[in-house]
Amino acid sequence: MSRAVLAGVVAAVRRSVSQVCDPEYPEVTIAELGILEGVSSSDGGSTVRIELVPTMLGCPALDVIARDVTDAARTACAGADVSIEVTFVDDPVWTPDRIAPSAVGFLAREYSVAVRSRSATASCPICGNDALEHRSDFGPTPCRSVEWCPSCRNPIEVVGRVDMPAAMEAAPASPALA
Amino acid sequence: MTDSAPEVMDGAREMVLALADDELCIGQNLAWWIAVGPFLEEDLALTSISQDELGHARALYGLLGDDVDALAYARQPHEYRSAHLTELPCRDWGETLVRHFLYDTAETVRWAALADSSWEALGAVARRALAEERSHLRHATGLLSRLLRTEAGRSQLLPLFDQFTPMACELFELPPGCAADDLVAAGIMARPLSDQRAEWQAAVDEAVASAGYQPQWPADSAIPASASGRAGQRSAHFAALHAEMVEVLSIDPTAVW
Repeated sequence: MSRAVLAGVVAAVRRSVSQVCDPEYPEVTIAELGILEGVSSSDGGSTVRIELVPTMLGCPALDVIARDVTDAARTACAGADVSIEVTFVDDPVWTPDRIAPSAVGFLAREYSVAVRSRSATASCPICGNDALEHRSDFGPTPCRSVEWCPSCRNPIEVVGRVDMPAAMEAAPASPALA
Repeated sequence: MTDSAPEVMDGAREMVLALADDELCIGQNLAWWIAVGPFLEEDLALTSISQDELGHARALYGLLGDDVDALAYARQPHEYRSAHLTELPCRDWGETLVRHFLYDTAETVRWAALADSSWEALGAVARRALAEERSHLRHATGLLSRLLRTEAGRSQLLPLFDQFTPMACELFELPPGCAADDLVAAGIMARPLSDQRAEWQAAVDEAVASAGYQPQWPADSAIPASASGRAGQRSAHFAALHAEMVEVLSIDPTAVW
C-alpha cells in the first residue's frame, strides 16, 4: 500500500471512529468526551491502531465502546489490507477537562448533567447556580458523582469525582479535539 | 517494558498477580452490597468502589496476558495469591467499613510505590489507579472519623481493628519466589515493603488515635507463611467466593456480558 493510500485509510478510520457515540449518552461522540486518544498506522502500515482512554478503569461500558469502535473502523477501511487494533491506554489519564465545550453544553441541556473540570466550575444545569454542594463521590456510574443545588433544590449528577481534576493535573487535553 | 533481568521480571509478575487477586476478591466481595447497603448513598459508594477494584484487577491481569478472564476465573484455588483479608465475605457493614479502610489505606501506599516503576506499563496502571483511590480513601476515612466520634461507633468498630489488623499485614507480603529487594533494586518498586507497611500502620494509627485507641501490630503477619494466601493457601471463604464469580461461566462457558 502506498504511503498516500495508507494516509487516506487512517484518515477515513479517524473520521469514522470519531463519530462513534458513547453507550451512556447516545448523542455524544467518544471524540467529544475525550475518550478517543488517537488513530495511527503501525507495523509498517499493516495495522491501524486506535487508542482509547478509559474514563474509569472499572467502567462497564469499555467493552461496548471497543466493539463499536472496531466495527466503525472495519467499515471505514473495508477493502484495504490492514488489520485493526483497538486498545485502551493508561497514559494519559482521562479527566472531565477532556470533554469538549459543545458536549458540556449538550449534557447540561439534554441530560441535566453537569461537568466538573479545572477550566470551569460545575454549575447547576437546571437553574445555573454555580455553588453546588458536594454530596457523594459515587453516583449512578463510576465516573459520576452526586451534588446538590441549594438554589433549585435538586440533586445533580456531575461527571467527575470531586478531586479528579486535581489528581490528574498532568493530563493533557484530548488530541482528538485539537 | 522494563529491561530488568528475566528472573526479576518473573518476580514482578508474581507480585502483580497477587495485587490483581487482592483487587478481584475484594471487588467481588464488595459487590454483595448491591441493593442492600444501609443507605442509598452507601449502597452506590460500595458498589462503585467494587467496580473500580474489579477494573484495577482487569488492568493488572492485562499486564500478565491477553486472556484476562482466564487469569481471573480459570485458575485452580492454589494458583491464586490473594491476601486472606480480601477473601472475607461482606455481611456486617461495620466489618466492611473497617476492612475497606485498612485495604484502601494499604492500596494507596502500594500504588504510590509503583507509580514511577521502571516497568512502565505497571507505573501507568498505578498512576491511573491512584487517582481513583483518593475517593475510596476519602469515603472510608470520612465515615470512620464521624462514627468514631460516637460511643456506639467506638464500641462496635474498635474491636474490629483488633480482629482485622493482624490479618491485613499480609497485604504487604509477596508470594514466595518474589524477591522484594530485587524489585526495589530494579526500580520496579520504589521502596521496600517494610517501609510501605510502616507508612500504612502510621496512617491507621493516626485515624484511630482520636478515639484513644492504639492497634496492636504484630512483628510479622499473623498468618504463618505455610498458611499464607500469597503462598497459595486459600482461606475458608474462597471456595464460595470463587463459585459465585464463575457461576454463569460454569453454566455457559461461551456467555458474554
